[in-house]
Amino acid sequence: MRAAAGSPAGPQVLEADGIQVAFAGRQVLANIYLRVQTGQIVGLLGRNGSGKSVLLQTIFGARTVADASVRVNGRRVVPAFRQAGLLNYLPQEPLLPPSLPLRQAARMLGVELTEATARFPELRPQFDCRAGELSGGTARLLQTLLLLHADTAFSLFDEPFSGVMPVHVETLAEEMQRIKQRKGLLITDHRHAEVLPLCDVVYLLHQGRLLKLEGDVKEALRDYGYLAQ
Amino acid sequence: MAARRVGKPNQAFLMTILITQLRAVGLFYRSVAPFMLGISGLILATVLLPALREGWGAGLLPGLLLAKLATAPVVWYLSEQLRPGQYWFYFNLGLSRRRLWGGVVALDGLLFLGGVLAMRAGVA
Repeated sequence: MRAAAGSPAGPQVLEADGIQVAFAGRQVLANIYLRVQTGQIVGLLGRNGSGKSVLLQTIFGARTVADASVRVNGRRVVPAFRQAGLLNYLPQEPLLPPSLPLRQAARMLGVELTEATARFPELRPQFDCRAGELSGGTARLLQTLLLLHADTAFSLFDEPFSGVMPVHVETLAEEMQRIKQRKGLLITDHRHAEVLPLCDVVYLLHQGRLLKLEGDVKEALRDYGYLAQ
Repeated sequence: MAARRVGKPNQAFLMTILITQLRAVGLFYRSVAPFMLGISGLILATVLLPALREGWGAGLLPGLLLAKLATAPVVWYLSEQLRPGQYWFYFNLGLSRRRLWGGVVALDGLLFLGGVLAMRAGVA
């Protein structure tokens, strides 16, 4: 692992604020403040269309939002994806070009494929496939594992469990718990039963505002109408 | 494994990133190559080849290069429309749209230039 000279000790803190986004006159995000630090898994929940993906893409830097501020340890990093080794992002749509062989994708992301999939031995026969040849669930799992094991300080995952079969979801959740020792993870996924036990901090996007949930998170999610009563 | 420290990267790390990004530009070029090489082939076959055969193709190169450059926005637009989600992998490698397309246009320009020179040598 590369350790850059002159970097501060202790956990690294990724903060985002000043993000305001409106679509067709409707305010989707307003006065957002979000904080993730290495060693944490942070959950981001919200109804469909509440702006979760927009928020992740804005933090990642793929979406330009005026006045958005993304900082690491207080230093502005916009667009964040241009900063080597800072963060990666799993979008809802397929990550890898369909024609790209899996081994090459792993090499380009700086990931040792065998190591990244050590807990998923049934994936080994797929190593020589191209990304477009994989089934939806397998592709999702592999893409998540590649980004999870990539050498970045933070990973932003947009629906990492989507389409992944239950036995793999459990193992993937354990992998996330293991990897968080050296990373900060920001996860949004509607599979709250799997996501909530993983999270150290939970945010809810509700009517354009980001609420940090404390105490009984499930009760709060019911109160805000995200979970059924 | 300790948490990655974000700070000033060392030279070997930067070199690895540079090589990866060059490979990424090559990979991205492959996805638009059918359009770009098709346009190059069309320009060379319909303009340069007849001109060279008729003996007035010597001063055509700047004009042809400009014509070729002028087609890049069309390919960019079509690519954006047909594959809007194609950039995520490249963003994860630290490449912006601008860098990606800058690299593609430079690579395509070089290939086009190579085609012009090869055609000139072939006709001569």
